[in-house]
Amino acid sequence: MKRVTSLLLAGAFLLPTLATLSGCGGSGDEIVLKVYNWEEYIDEGGEGSFLYDEFMGENGQEEEGELLGADFLDWYKETTGTPLTITEEGPSVIDDFEKWYEKTYGEKVTVEYSTFGTNEDMYNEIVLGNEYDLLCPSDYMIMKLAAEGRLEKYDEAFFDETDENNYYVRNVSPYIAGKFATNAGLATLDNLWKDYAAGYMWGTTGFVYNPETVSEEQLESLDWRVFIEESAPFTNKITAKDNVRDTYFAAIGVTFEEELTALYQKFLAKELTAEEYTKELTKYFNDTSDEAIEKVEPTLMKIKENIYSFETDTGKADLVNGNINLNYAWSGDAVYAMDLAEEENDCYFNYFVPLSGSNLWFDGWVMPKGVSERGTKQAAQAFVNFLSMPYNAMRNSYFIGYTSVISGEKNEMLDYADYLYGYYPEDEFEEGEEYPEPVEYDLSYFFLGENYGEDVEHITIPADPEQASSRQLYAQFPPESVIARCAVMDYYGEEASVRINELWSRVKAETLDAWAIIVICVTVVGIALFTVFVKFGNKIDLRRKPKKGYKFVSREDPTRI
Amino acid sequence: MKIPRFSRKMLCIPYAVFLIFFVILPMLVILFYAFTDKNMHVSFSNFIRFFSDPTKLSTIVYSLVIALITTVACLIIAYPVAYILARSKLKKKFVIVMLFVLPMWINFVLRVNALREIFNLIAISPAMEWLTSANYFKTIVGMVYDFLPFMILPLYTTMLKIDGSLYEASADLGGSAFTTFTRVTIPLSMPGILSGITMVFLPSMTNYVVSDMLGNAKVTIIGKFIYEYFGTDWHMGSMVALVLLAVVFLSTWLSGGFQSEENVRGANL
Repeated sequence: MKRVTSLLLAGAFLLPTLATLSGCGGSGDEIVLKVYNWEEYIDEGGEGSFLYDEFMGENGQEEEGELLGADFLDWYKETTGTPLTITEEGPSVIDDFEKWYEKTYGEKVTVEYSTFGTNEDMYNEIVLGNEYDLLCPSDYMIMKLAAEGRLEKYDEAFFDETDENNYYVRNVSPYIAGKFATNAGLATLDNLWKDYAAGYMWGTTGFVYNPETVSEEQLESLDWRVFIEESAPFTNKITAKDNVRDTYFAAIGVTFEEELTALYQKFLAKELTAEEYTKELTKYFNDTSDEAIEKVEPTLMKIKENIYSFETDTGKADLVNGNINLNYAWSGDAVYAMDLAEEENDCYFNYFVPLSGSNLWFDGWVMPKGVSERGTKQAAQAFVNFLSMPYNAMRNSYFIGYTSVISGEKNEMLDYADYLYGYYPEDEFEEGEEYPEPVEYDLSYFFLGENYGEDVEHITIPADPEQASSRQLYAQFPPESVIARCAVMDYYGEEASVRINELWSRVKAETLDAWAIIVICVTVVGIALFTVFVKFGNKIDLRRKPKKGYKFVSREDPTRI
Repeated sequence: MKIPRFSRKMLCIPYAVFLIFFVILPMLVILFYAFTDKNMHVSFSNFIRFFSDPTKLSTIVYSLVIALITTVACLIIAYPVAYILARSKLKKKFVIVMLFVLPMWINFVLRVNALREIFNLIAISPAMEWLTSANYFKTIVGMVYDFLPFMILPLYTTMLKIDGSLYEASADLGGSAFTTFTRVTIPLSMPGILSGITMVFLPSMTNYVVSDMLGNAKVTIIGKFIYEYFGTDWHMGSMVALVLLAVVFLSTWLSGGFQSEENVRGANL
């Protein structure tokens, strides 16, 4: 009986612990919101954050920021209910959200924030049954999750523009909203993207390159073929991504460059509308048919032979060190590499997006199934809304270095772009000094949507001509001419994914000829048999079985005569 | 009701629990995944796919060869060092041994990264430019660098235990230095050699961090395959892991790793 009692006792002790561990927020009125995001993909405050750089002077003195001033301080107090205090660790956007939520909705919320490294890692976690309330996958993974029925739709109320707390719908760029409302990919989903996902960051892919060794003319004439160009400065001086999707995309660019260029020419000659062009382009870049794979495979082999490395994050450092001349990169990483090179090595890199088409990508917030049952859906949507406040979008964008999908109800993000890249030579140069004339950098499409028309006043910032044609501004806020030739990567589907992965393993690994494998296998088996024989050979007795009543003397028997 | 008396056997319970949850159950899960398909039906398709795919077989062969070269190189470097250290009358022998072991205590990724930078530095000179694309070479150097302490330590500890009078006896009986080495030192240090081989050979088949960083991800060993498959297809990933397990089991068995004589395993760390 004692045992049973002790077991019960132990159980009684354990129960409260388990309840806290599961942390579903069922108890009391505190909500626990589990957010699962990319590593370093949100402003967590401290050094390197926007507020720190804006309000903390060189020697730690508080001062007024260049962009943020009294308006911001008022807004901050209004939103979080506390005055702004900047420390080494804060304030983090996540903590601010908790304060804002309690103030706005009258409920306490605690954010459990965790991070992942790749879309696939995140997917595995979800499939294993780990419960999260808000995830931030990339475009194709959103489609995969949605296609498998793992996502919950956003409430209709989330898109109600009259609700003053619906910051996402009021601040998101009309261009991005348009992409999400029409499914920028191949529309393999029955529902629209916007039903499942709210945008967070977006960008393009292209090449960061060292203009001292590679010229823009070379890039323009070779385009995607830089991957297979077997001469200096390209051969062995370029990197590809160490994941099948990005490298397959690039290999399609190389393989079908003629077709893609012809398509681009048609678009330039206005034989194709922008919409038709994007559709065709998307089809090409997402072609996973057997014929396409067959054509792409030799290209991939050539790419592997010709590149310096497959990488996920060593490319930036290799470029800065001079190990390579070109790094195939996401736009945000490109900006980071360019900033790093300027600050630390005093050298300048450029960004180039292939003319025959490239990749347009998004990361967005989605809610896995079960948020409604857990009662966390409202908080999850509120989290997205909070991140969509223009000031918070600036904070995150500044910290991450990527481009936010937010444009701002009153185009607040234009001020931010202007703060980062606006070029006012009269302030920077003395009279009589020579300087490049600023150019008007047009971002109308982002702030006004795709159909802004000719009669509307264009939205521009004055920019340095180099910034506008090939530097950070060009990478972080791509002009319309660049995004017009970019296609979104689709989810290939279950069956095609298997074939693509097999292709990737063939590319990555060396494949021996059948005869070599047979020879090696036979040798290995031979050695194995030989070793076994040496070890146990003396135990094998080939002599005939002795007659009944007799026995052989063991070979090892010391008494043997 | 009888209260169970404390017995010495009960001390094993924590380990038994560990064994069940972290060794036996995961093995069963891997076995289960390897022989099922997407719908969790029993299937041999992964098995057939693995052995009919020249890419996967080639990767196993390549991994074996890389591991073999690494092991031999480690043995060639480590054996003389361990021998000299064990037989020398140096008072501060311990310090030298520490110098070999010390790198093990520094984060491994950091060491590999440093090696990568050293290679980059060397490759700057035109005469050494071939190094930039010598991915297999760099991978093997990295592995030797990384696993060397695992070879030195067991060798050193076994050689330390060899009774000095045996060398004298060999000399008394007219054995030359060479004969003493081949008939006394090598046989008596065999347990150390075997244990060193197992400790270097097995990890160098799977340590894809080295091949990714130093081989510029252009060298694919079996460990990387397992990692990549677990991103997309757990069933195939489990099958690859299972095949690797079989290879490891076979090589350990053949090298005598399962012999129960005390001295064989005695040198294990």
